[in-house]
Amino acid sequence: MKPARFDYVRAETVAHAGEILAAAGGDGKVLAGGQSLMPMINFRLVKPTVLVDINHIAGLDTIALDGGRLRLGALVRHRMTAEDGLVKAHVPVLHHAMKHVAHLTVRNRGTFCGSVCHADPAAEMPMMTLLLDGLMHTASSRGTRAVAARDFFVGSLVTALEPHEMVTAIEIDALPPGAGWGFEEFARRHGDYALASVAVVLERQGGHARNVRVATMGVGEMPARMDTVEAALEGSAMDDRALDGAVDLLRAAVAPNSDLNASADYRRHLVGALARRALADAWSRATETAQ
Amino acid sequence: MTDAPRTADASVELRPKLVGQRIRRTEDPRLLTGSGRYVDDIALPGMLHVAVRRSDQPHARILSIDVGDAFAIPGVVAIFDARDIAGDIRPAIPTSRMDGYYATPIRPLAQDKVRYTGEPVVAVVAESRYAAEDALDQIAIAYEPLPFAIRQVDAVEPGAPLLHEEAGSNVIIARQFQRGDVDAAIAAAPVTVRRRFRMTRKTPVPMENRSYLADWDKRKRALTLHTSSNIPGIVRDVLADCLDLPGNRLRVVAPDVGGSFGGKGSLNHEEMLVCVLAKKLERPVKFTADRMEDLTAMSQAFDELIDAELAVDAEGRLIGLRADVIGDIGAYSVYPWTGALEPVQVVSFLPGPYRMQHYRGRVRGVLTPKPPTGPYRGVGRPSSTFAMERLIDMAARKLGLDPAEMRRRNLVTAEEFPYRTGSGIIWDKSAFQECLEGACADYPALVKARDAARAEGRWVGIGLASYAELTGIGSRIAVAPGMPINTGTETAAIRIDATGAVTAAFGISSHGQGLETTLAQIVADELGCRFEDVEILHGDSALVPMGTGTYASRSAVLGGGAATKSARVVKTKVLKAAAHLMDVPMEELEAGNGLIRARSSNATMTFKEVARAVYSQMGRIPYDQREDLVAEETYDPYLGTACASTHLAMVEVDRDTFGVTVTHFVVAEDCGRIINPLIVEGQVHGAVAQGIGAALLEEVVHDETGQLLTASLADYLVPVATNMPDIGIVHIEADLPNNLGGFRGMGEGGTIGAPAAIANAISDALSPLGIEIDTLPATPERLFRLVEAAQAGMAQDKPAG
Repeated sequence: MKPARFDYVRAETVAHAGEILAAAGGDGKVLAGGQSLMPMINFRLVKPTVLVDINHIAGLDTIALDGGRLRLGALVRHRMTAEDGLVKAHVPVLHHAMKHVAHLTVRNRGTFCGSVCHADPAAEMPMMTLLLDGLMHTASSRGTRAVAARDFFVGSLVTALEPHEMVTAIEIDALPPGAGWGFEEFARRHGDYALASVAVVLERQGGHARNVRVATMGVGEMPARMDTVEAALEGSAMDDRALDGAVDLLRAAVAPNSDLNASADYRRHLVGALARRALADAWSRATETAQ
Repeated sequence: MTDAPRTADASVELRPKLVGQRIRRTEDPRLLTGSGRYVDDIALPGMLHVAVRRSDQPHARILSIDVGDAFAIPGVVAIFDARDIAGDIRPAIPTSRMDGYYATPIRPLAQDKVRYTGEPVVAVVAESRYAAEDALDQIAIAYEPLPFAIRQVDAVEPGAPLLHEEAGSNVIIARQFQRGDVDAAIAAAPVTVRRRFRMTRKTPVPMENRSYLADWDKRKRALTLHTSSNIPGIVRDVLADCLDLPGNRLRVVAPDVGGSFGGKGSLNHEEMLVCVLAKKLERPVKFTADRMEDLTAMSQAFDELIDAELAVDAEGRLIGLRADVIGDIGAYSVYPWTGALEPVQVVSFLPGPYRMQHYRGRVRGVLTPKPPTGPYRGVGRPSSTFAMERLIDMAARKLGLDPAEMRRRNLVTAEEFPYRTGSGIIWDKSAFQECLEGACADYPALVKARDAARAEGRWVGIGLASYAELTGIGSRIAVAPGMPINTGTETAAIRIDATGAVTAAFGISSHGQGLETTLAQIVADELGCRFEDVEILHGDSALVPMGTGTYASRSAVLGGGAATKSARVVKTKVLKAAAHLMDVPMEELEAGNGLIRARSSNATMTFKEVARAVYSQMGRIPYDQREDLVAEETYDPYLGTACASTHLAMVEVDRDTFGVTVTHFVVAEDCGRIINPLIVEGQVHGAVAQGIGAALLEEVVHDETGQLLTASLADYLVPVATNMPDIGIVHIEADLPNNLGGFRGMGEGGTIGAPAAIANAISDALSPLGIEIDTLPATPERLFRLVEAAQAGMAQDKPAG
């Protein structure tokens, strides 16, 4: 389990990283936390010609609140996200989700942006980015661009990121005051990739749910927003009937795979059960706000 | 103030013994600070590295091997396949006297055919492992795929494709144990329960991967093998034959070994390979498996189908049991244990610690294209206990009898010892009933809590598992049937040197379980020296004439017995010398804590002073009475000791996710005289964790095409801290066994009871649905299916309208 030969470059700036990636002609890989990349290299599942180490680029390791949005730089480690005061105060659903992310040693190194770029269908960061209407800021030798989360995830471990690009930061929504949230995840062991997970954010106005957002992971090739569920719950009283209907819609909307750990049937059952818990939690956490 | 008489108080014999004390492990300062020295830590000048190209086919003929441009890679030294080394080493043959058995030859590299995905085919030797792995990418092997039967139910069929044509059948092991007339007993019984149980395949997952380093000394024409093995003595003896080297020119050393759990307890292909290559290339050669290689090709475990039927009378008393077991032993019979080790023990231990007249256990061991199964902590008993304890609970449920009461009525009582089981095992002096009572101390309260939870609609259950095992067995009983090696004796060589230091050398080895501490406790107690003056040597074939290693819960019993015998002889020599030196009769002397004291005069000498007099101050002892302070004694417990336990588990099954949480766990065990409670409790904790893994998480999966699906620790799930409940341990010390020291072996027990107890607890939790667990691990997926089927059945049973 030794990697194939590769070159290593320590990038000094984002522009420098962009140059190296461009020169690699599509065979370069960005090394941030390396928690997914290094095992894949050791298994020889990926054989980059050059690793571009961005760990020494200044200014990428910050979390900042800007307007109603939170911006997480490319070197924000899971541990920082988990312990950050802004995240806890403004995006409590993400703060809570971090409790399910891997193990201490992985959290110390792994990065928020790196996990999103890896796009594992059962990892928390891609789903949270999707739930919170994230925007990926990318940079390359050809300039910068911003890609919406809904356009970013293309397939299992596949994103809209070009081989010569790197993500420099990701912006996500802070929750509006009074918003309720729910997060449920089930894995065979704590910290493993989820068999299924559901995250919910909603507001409560006049006894009705508003701006309902529901995202799932582990039950398809990519994390997904549950548009039909969100539409059905919009304006609902979140009573048992509404929740039962939402669960049915959600189970119909997902297309889980069968694998070693779980069949599609079980995953479909599981994601519905988790959704019901997450929706109920979100509703109970939401406080009445003016319309 | 009074002058108390000093005679009694001063008696060193009354000082607290070390045996029985919670002494911290003397290994730990080294192992916990990164100062351990494992095989992979050893680097020799000129050392080469091996990488192995493994079969990607389950069963195929090797047509050709093309090394391509492998030699163009800088650092590549040599490339070998089976043809290149055929004349350099003889295959190891795991012989046995069993009728109808076929011993599959074990070779370093696959010859002509491959028989499982992961079998070594080509070895690349290079200056670095990196270069060797680069070269692997260059090698192309052409195979002619051959038909195969990957499941044991298919492989036992008469027309199944043969894995070893020479065997004439895939069934290379068939045994039967019988007593009474079980068919008539079952036919006449008022209550019977029957089930087909499946204990899936496991892999041992020691923290340290396998690692082997062979060093050929051209000058002496001698070979040293450093190996991460727990049977260095057995490896020495077999390699001496395979390589035609006498034992004084073949030394096998197991330095610090980072766990085995059985996986390092058989001869490995790669262990043979490095020896051949080092000798051929006249340079040290190292192979260190990576995790994928260990998960793919290390010896695996269990994999049995147990079709069993139990008959009981109306009061729940056991009448008879019949069972038909098919053990999937994989592609080879392992050396030295043979493929019979695991499946045959299933039928020998199936009757359990219970009184039962009629029994018939049939077993077939069948070859399939998978890695061989070998020893695994608990061997056979985790599977047999799972099946039997499930049947006991199923019968109790049918009778409406409490499972604890059911066991109370059937466990062999102290008055009935010695008791011979239907399979011929003799239970003696073991705390069967006491362990049940010990585990059930809080049982009424737990039942109450369970019933309250159940009333809320929660799936909460309690499960018990009682078992007994034979540990520390002597020369009368073979570990595996008909084996050609002796596992019933162990030797200790103890010497006090000229500085007064004590060195105790053993044929056993330690793979991390604290034997350096426990054996030093015994030696210090028996010899009367100071604990800190004892150095324990082990894991080196050069230490004693014959040794095997550590396995089968034997090391405390056999190693401890040998230590006791040798220490007593040395002590006599010390006292004899001291008697001369102090000019008192030997009977007046006693030794303790490094001092020899005369009871009459309170005169003392230290061990160091005696040693100096014996070795260096000639003339102080008459020359014709001077003896070196050494002894080398061998201990054979002849029969062995029974070790018994009852486990109690309480679980909750989540109604939404089907995840199982173990909320409460108690182990009551009788391991005889406890040498060190800290170490015993550590063994129980670790083994219960392993049992929880077997019950809930761990399963080696090969798909229909013979490929391994669980080739990483992301897919083969071992238990982690968050899976562990607090474990209550109740030590029961019943009538001590007859062996020296009164110790019983206890290294494996936790893995035996935990899977059964958890399976019973889950079945109890799901009893409102009538579900009986028959397959482990009880994964969320399996529980989902069972509940779905049960609910569908209930819906059907409801009257229409």
